[in-house]
This record gives sequence, structure tokens and C-alpha cells, in this order.
Amino acid sequence: VSRLSEGRRGQGLRGRLLAAFVLVAVPPLLLFAVFVIALVSDRLERAARQRLGQGLDGVRARVGRLQREADAAVAAIVRDKVSATPISDDNARNAAAELGASHGLPLLEIVDGSGRVLSSRHWPAGVGLPEGDHEVAGTSDLRWETIAEDYGAAERLAVVATHRGTWSGVPVVVRGGFPLDAEVLGELSDLMGAEVALRDRARGRWVARADSPLAKAGAFDPSKGDGTVDIAGTVYRWAAAPLGASLWEVVAVPHTLLAEVTGGVRWLTLGVAALALLAALATALVLSGRIAGPVRELAARARGVGAGDLEHTAVEASDEVGELARAFASMTHELRTSRERLVQAERVAAWREMARRLAHELKNPIFPIQLSIETLRRALDQSAAQDAERFQSLFRESSDTILDELRSLRAIVEEFSQFARMPPPRLAPTDLRELVERVLALYRARAATVRIETGLAEGLPPVPADRDLLARALGNLVANALEAMPDGGTLSVKTRAVAEGVALEVSDTGPGLTEEQRTRLFTPYYTTKKGGTGLGLAIVQGIVSDHGGRIQVESAPGAGTTFTLVLPSAMGNGHVEPGGAA
Amino acid sequence: VLALALGAGRSARSALGPRYGGELRIALAEAATSVEPSMPRGTADRILAGLVHETLLGVDDDGRPRPALVQSWASAADGREWTLRLAPATFHDGAPVGSADAVRGLRRFLRSESAAAAHLARVLEGGDEYRRRSSEALAGLTTLDDARLVLRFRVSTAVPLAALASPAAAIVSGRGAGAGPFVPTTPPSGRGLRATAFGRHVRGRPFLDVVRLIVGPADRGARSDGADADVTSTAPPLPPATGLLLLLLDPAAPPLASGRARALIAASVDRAQLARHFLPGGEPAEALLAPTLLPPLPPPSAPSPRATASPASVAGRVVLRVASDVPQSASQRVVAHLTALGLEVQAIPAPAAAVAAGQPRLLVWYPEVAEAGLALEELAALAGWPAPVRTALEAADAVRDFDRRRAELQRIEETLRGTHVLVPLARLPLPLGGRSGVHALRVTASGALVVENAWVEP
Repeated sequence: VSRLSEGRRGQGLRGRLLAAFVLVAVPPLLLFAVFVIALVSDRLERAARQRLGQGLDGVRARVGRLQREADAAVAAIVRDKVSATPISDDNARNAAAELGASHGLPLLEIVDGSGRVLSSRHWPAGVGLPEGDHEVAGTSDLRWETIAEDYGAAERLAVVATHRGTWSGVPVVVRGGFPLDAEVLGELSDLMGAEVALRDRARGRWVARADSPLAKAGAFDPSKGDGTVDIAGTVYRWAAAPLGASLWEVVAVPHTLLAEVTGGVRWLTLGVAALALLAALATALVLSGRIAGPVRELAARARGVGAGDLEHTAVEASDEVGELARAFASMTHELRTSRERLVQAERVAAWREMARRLAHELKNPIFPIQLSIETLRRALDQSAAQDAERFQSLFRESSDTILDELRSLRAIVEEFSQFARMPPPRLAPTDLRELVERVLALYRARAATVRIETGLAEGLPPVPADRDLLARALGNLVANALEAMPDGGTLSVKTRAVAEGVALEVSDTGPGLTEEQRTRLFTPYYTTKKGGTGLGLAIVQGIVSDHGGRIQVESAPGAGTTFTLVLPSAMGNGHVEPGGAA
Repeated sequence: VLALALGAGRSARSALGPRYGGELRIALAEAATSVEPSMPRGTADRILAGLVHETLLGVDDDGRPRPALVQSWASAADGREWTLRLAPATFHDGAPVGSADAVRGLRRFLRSESAAAAHLARVLEGGDEYRRRSSEALAGLTTLDDARLVLRFRVSTAVPLAALASPAAAIVSGRGAGAGPFVPTTPPSGRGLRATAFGRHVRGRPFLDVVRLIVGPADRGARSDGADADVTSTAPPLPPATGLLLLLLDPAAPPLASGRARALIAASVDRAQLARHFLPGGEPAEALLAPTLLPPLPPPSAPSPRATASPASVAGRVVLRVASDVPQSASQRVVAHLTALGLEVQAIPAPAAAVAAGQPRLLVWYPEVAEAGLALEELAALAGWPAPVRTALEAADAVRDFDRRRAELQRIEETLRGTHVLVPLARLPLPLGGRSGVHALRVTASGALVVENAWVEP
């Protein structure tokens, strides 16, 4: 959990660094993208408006030129030709065709005062009939002319000039001009790269080339001046200007082209911004890694130091973090040196303590032995003066003393030898209840004044343990408890299940321990008992530790002492023999 | 001098009279649709039918029968039974023309789209049932022997045999071969047809060796090999003006449902101007039939609608289907008149033969058979059979006195014209003419170009 939280803290630092990078990098990129898109859109819009305006100007220029040409030609016809040509039935029919051809006017019509067609180049079928033309509202130069076409006639918009004259004395109107038809508008469209058309609002008619999309725009109101219109799924941007009260010139370009260019720029800008953002993210990742990495590594090394690993504390970094790492390494080095010195000092102190204990333990039996031997020598020197019976008695006492002390010396040596040669545990599933009963059975006879109580939980799982070593540890604790209650008391042995496995408690109602005693309790050769070696509890702690467990003590002066052994219920790393301990 | 010499030479060659041999190339704007005997669908069909096929009888200018494959005929039972004797003729495939061929041909004819066939079926015993396909028996048509056949009619009629002159009544052999003056040597195609003279034709071998129909632009008449055609639309058209420029109005739909509107339309067209300026070789037509077929009655004393209606106007929109053989200038003029009257007219081209009832049309009409009664029946069918006209026509068919019948037909024509469903505008000749050096070309009252007696100078 701790490691996980450390990792999260490390990731949090990196995440915050990344977030900081993104917050710093994204707004300028977005601003850049918005600015570029707005700039390009504005430029394209201006270009489109300019193109549409040029289209409108082009149409007006073409119409104006046609009007001037028509006016000059018709004026010349009226001035030079018509009045000089006598009217007859046959020449009347052909006059318009001949005059129109000679003056380059595809449309030429001569009508009398009542509007009856006297001659027509473009509608020869109408000779003798009233002209069926319609003037475009608001202009006398643009008319819907009836023009022969296939098997009938059609109305075609035309740019015309009208002049009055006389024909053999008869007042006539000569009207000539050029068709402003799909062909002309198609030429203009090709020339300008835009769709050019004319819209007569009064008649609800389009004049445009056959494939012009504008001709498919049904209800269309050009009076707004400009806008967009959706024709068969394609959006066009258009502009219009009046040519008369009801006639409008309309120029359109596909808005999709503008939209495509704008869209392309938008995507390009967003792509560049995204790439820049990715680059910023990558840079942020690298930089944050270079900053947070040494910090995380330093934290790991600190955790290692906390766990006792004082080696390999060098962290590669060059900046302030590197300075911190170097300081940390120096600190760790100092800590390692101090620990070595401390270990050495502890080792020396332990040796001194052991020497002191050895000297103390060995000195106690040696002194009686010396006294006994000196007594025997003195008795031998005085044997002549004394009787043999008294010498023999003295010899027997002294030798007994010597033998007792020698036994004591052997016991001391044996105990030291056992502590030095503690065997590794051979783990096997062990029933603690049976073990406790067996150990207590050994001590019941010696506990005449002590009441022994047991509280052994039912159904405890077997623990992996070396039965002999654990019995020895339990025996030591029981012996200590009995020795702590020479005047009687209660020895309590209990077992219970804990989270880590099984707990074994040994409690006495003795005098208890002081704080100082309790802290030094497991130090080898420390004892509060007269004649004790101070190795008993050290042996117990070693056995418990070898079983992967732990030992704790609770005691206070006058409140008795309780030792708790906690043993894991699962198999540890010890050697296990399924059949039990050897 | 040279010109005079050349002219004299040419005059000398034509003065020598007809000669055998040579090829006549006829340029046509459109190809013939079929070589089978059927109702002609246009100029090309009429020319091809006259080249390849022969009918039992023809009709003269008065509508009376003249010999063709039938050389003589006789009537009995008060004119209700007619015995026809076949001439000794041969089909192109060498088979003799027999009465069984004639009966087979007439049975096919009776079930064709022809107006003449409808007339014949109406008067022939068992004809109506046979035409309606309710019976295969045809009691009115039998053979006596290989050379004679008998037609029995329910009633005695004035012109019982005229219907047999229809091109659709042509007789073919069992293998489909015709008996006309020329034998087609190539199947008809979009590029034309070639036919050679038939030596055993019933009226003798034609003068020409070969007749070639060339399909191409109407105003050129030039072949791909560069040789000019002998008969083209650019040459002066051949008289007489037998075609009728006819405006067919639809009385069932507005704005033409109004009789006054139709009368105004009929009166609005200046026929003289139309014929003079827009139809070269044409004549104004006030009556539905040519004067040679049926002289018109004297003009009515009542004022025309144009004179009474002031101002004369007809509002509305009309889609006018114009047959492809109508000259464009004439159509434009007619449209101009209608437009001046106030109508909004959309003229759209249509095939010459696609005449459908209930559609305003401008067409050039030729009678199927050049006989006044049959022609009026054909026109009455075009007009949707106005009730008084049908009754009057049936009554007139029973009048065997020539003058009385003519008077009846004149009144019927006037009645039919008075409905203003059929508006006669002008008569125009077949738009074909021969170059100099081509002689004896003739156009029938049915609009067929007859080349049987034509010859070309070498």
C-alpha cells in the first residue's frame, strides 16, 4: 500500500507537470488556430465577393456594349436605309433580313405605328401580325422578343435599340439588337468562372445556359443583393444587381469551393495545432520524466534506506534534484558508516558483556574450588597434628564442593554451547494444543505452589513448526514464569487465532518487569535471576524468529508478565518434513 | 450559240420520248418504316409502297375503280355482289397471283388500321365480326376459282370497290413477295433501299432499270459517293398540291373545348398569306378535300367569326404537336397566328405518322384512297367521329346516284369543317421534285410518288 501510494504520488507529480505543460501550450495553439481560420475565411470571403462583383460588372459591361452597338446600327439603318427603300409586299418581307445581315444585327424588326410587324429578321412568321414582344419593366433597352424557333417561336431576352423613322412616308419603328440569351451568358460564365444568369422577377423566368444550376433555383428572390442558395444539394454564394425594375443579373459561385478551402485550412491549422500539441506533450513527458524520475528514484532509495539497504544510493541527476540526490547519498554514506561503527561498537560491547558474564559465571565456581583445594592442602599440612578422621571428613566436603562447582561449570559451558549451536528449525504441521499439554506436563510436578491454567482454543489450524525447538522455547517461558513466582501464583497458557496465524500466550502473576528490564529482556546474557545465564529468552526469540514469527512482552511492575508468541499458520521458508520433526 | 446548241440538244433528247434504262435516285429525309403492306407512315412509306406493291384496284380522279391486279369486275344482286377477275400477273418471287393470294391479302387488310378497311368491313358480309376478331369466318369474301373472287355486301353502296385501292390492301405472295413495278434488292434500312425494274409487272416493265431511295438531310440530297440525287426536296415540287396542311384541335380540353375558340382559331389564319409566303407551291385551303375530289360548296353568306368577334382573343396554353413533314416556316406562321390570338403556344416536333386523338396537331394529311366518301370517313375518324357526320356518311354511302351523293358529301364536309376540330389551312405539294432530265414523275391524290412510268434522259 505504501509503495502504491508512493507510486501514485510520483505519477501525481508527473501528471501535474503534464497538466501544466498542456495548460501552457493549448491556449496559444487554439488561439493560433482560430486566428488562422478566421483570417483565411475572411480573405476567401473577400475574394468570393470580389469575384461576384467582377461578374456583375462584366454582365453590365457586356449589356452596355451591346446596347451601344445596337443603337449605332439601328440609327444608321433608320438614317440611311429604311427611308430610301420603297415598300412593297415582297421587299417588306425581306427588308429586315437584308438590313439586319448587312448591319450585323441578328435581331431586326420594323413595325408600323400600330405595332404590326412589317418585316422581321428574327420572327419572319409574324409579318403582318401584331408584335408579341414584352418590354422588361424599368428599361426600354431590354425586351422579351419573339424569335422563330423550330416549329414555333420562343421568347428570348434581347438587348435592343429602338428608333423611329419613316418608310416610304409611313411612320415606322425600327428595333434591332442582340439576343441576351443562354449563349451570351454561357460565354460570360466561362469567361468569369462563375455562373451568370438573368432573372426576370415579374415573369418568374431565368435566362441562363441549359446546364446552369441557377436555372434550377425555383423560387429565388434576387432583391436581397447577395446570399447563398442550395440548388440540388450544392450551396452557391450569389450576388445580384438590378438591370431594370424586374430584371436582375445574378452571379453565383459554388459555396462548396469556399467551404472546401476554408475547411481545408481549418483542418490543416487544426492538424498543425494538434502536432504542436503532441510535440508539447512529448516534450512535457520527457521533461517531467527527467524531473520526476530522479525524485521517484530518490524516494525509492529512501525507502530502501528505511528498510536497511544503505548500498547503491547514487541517483543520476544534474540539476537541483541531482544536488538533493548527492546530499541524500552523502547522508546515506554517513548513515552506513555510523551503522558500521555502531555494529562494531555493539559487537565489542557484546564481547565485553560476554567476557564479563563468562568471568562472572566462571569466577563463582572457581572461587569455591580454590577455597576447597586450599583447605585440603592446609589440612594435608596439618594432618600430622590432626587425626585422620577429621582429614577425611574435610577431604570429603572439599571434594564434594569441587565436584559441585565443576558440574556447575559444565552446565554453564553446555548452555553456551547450545546457544552457539542453535540448529535450523525443521518445520512440520504441529498441533499447538498437544505441544502445550506435553510441555506443561513436564512442569506440573515442579509447580507445587503455582496454579496452572490453560485456555487452548478449539479448531486451531496446525502451524508449521519444529516441535522440539518450539517445545524448548515454550519450556523456557514456562520455567521463567515458575521461577518468577517462588511464592506461588498462577501460570496461564492460552492459544488463539490471530490475523497472522496463531498466538500463544504465557502469563504469570509474578512481580513483573521494569521498563529497563523489559527493553533489555531479549539481550543475550542479560538476566535478572541469580545464577541465570541470560540466554533463555534470547534462545526463545531466536526460535520464534526462525519460525517466521514474532515475540512480544507485556509487563509492568507488580502486574505480572505476559509473553505472546505469534506464529504464522502458513508454511514459511523453513525446511519442512511432512512426517514431523526429526 | 453553245448554250442554244446544248439547249437544242436537250430538247431533242426529251422529244425522243420515253427510254428504257437508267437509275433514279430519290433523296428522302427519313427512311421507310416497313416493306410490308400497311398504312403508309410518311412520304417514304408511300413511295416504297408504290414501288414494291400492287393493289387489286386503283381509283381514278373521280374515285372510280381502275384495273390493277384485277382486270375486270361485274356486279349482281342489285350491286351487293361483285365478282373480280384477276389479270395474269406474277409476284416478284415468280409465283402467279391467284385468288387465294387476293383473299389472304384482303383478310389481312380488313384487320389493319386503315380507315378504308374499316369502311369495307362495315359493308362486307361478316366484315365487322371478322375485323373485331370475334369470328374467323368471312362470308363476304370467297373465291370461285384461281382467277376469280367474289365480294358480297350487306347493302348496295355507291363505291363498293374503292377501298381496295388502299396501299394497305396490297397483295403479296405466300412468301411475302410483292407484285409492284420494282423489286427491292436490299432490305430497307436507315440508309435507304435499292430496287430494280420488275419485267413481269402487270402493266409491263417500267422504263427505269433501278430506283434508289437515299436517306439523308432533306436540303441536300447528295449521296456519300458525291452523285447528286435526281429527286430532291430542293427541286421545285411536283404538282398538284395534294397534301392538306391541317390543324387538328382537341375539343375535349380547354381552351379548345369552346366551339367559339376553335372558330376564332379557324378564322384567324390568313390562308392566302400562309400559302403564298410560307408554302412554296401551296394554295390556300378553305375546304377539307381537294376540289378534284370534292368541289366545295359556294362560300357562306354569313359573316365569319373574325368579322363578328371584336376583339378576337383566346386565352390559354396549347401544346401543339407538329408533324415532321410540316414545313417549319408554315408551322411558325400558324403558331404566330395563334399567339396573336392570345394563346400561349408551345410547338413540339412529333413523328409524321404518330397521329393520336385528343392532341392538338399540325399535320400534312393525304387521303388514304382518293375517293371523297372514304376521305371524309378518314377525316371524321381524325375528328373523333362527330355524331351527325357518322350518320350522314352512312346515308351517303347508300346513294348510288353520283350527283346526289356528291351533294351529300359536300354538306357532310361542311358540317365536319363546321365543328372546327379539323381546320384546313393550305394545300401543299409533295416536297419532292425532279431535276431536269427526269420525266413522267407523277404524284397521286394520295400523296404517292409514281415512278412506274418515269424515265430519265441519258
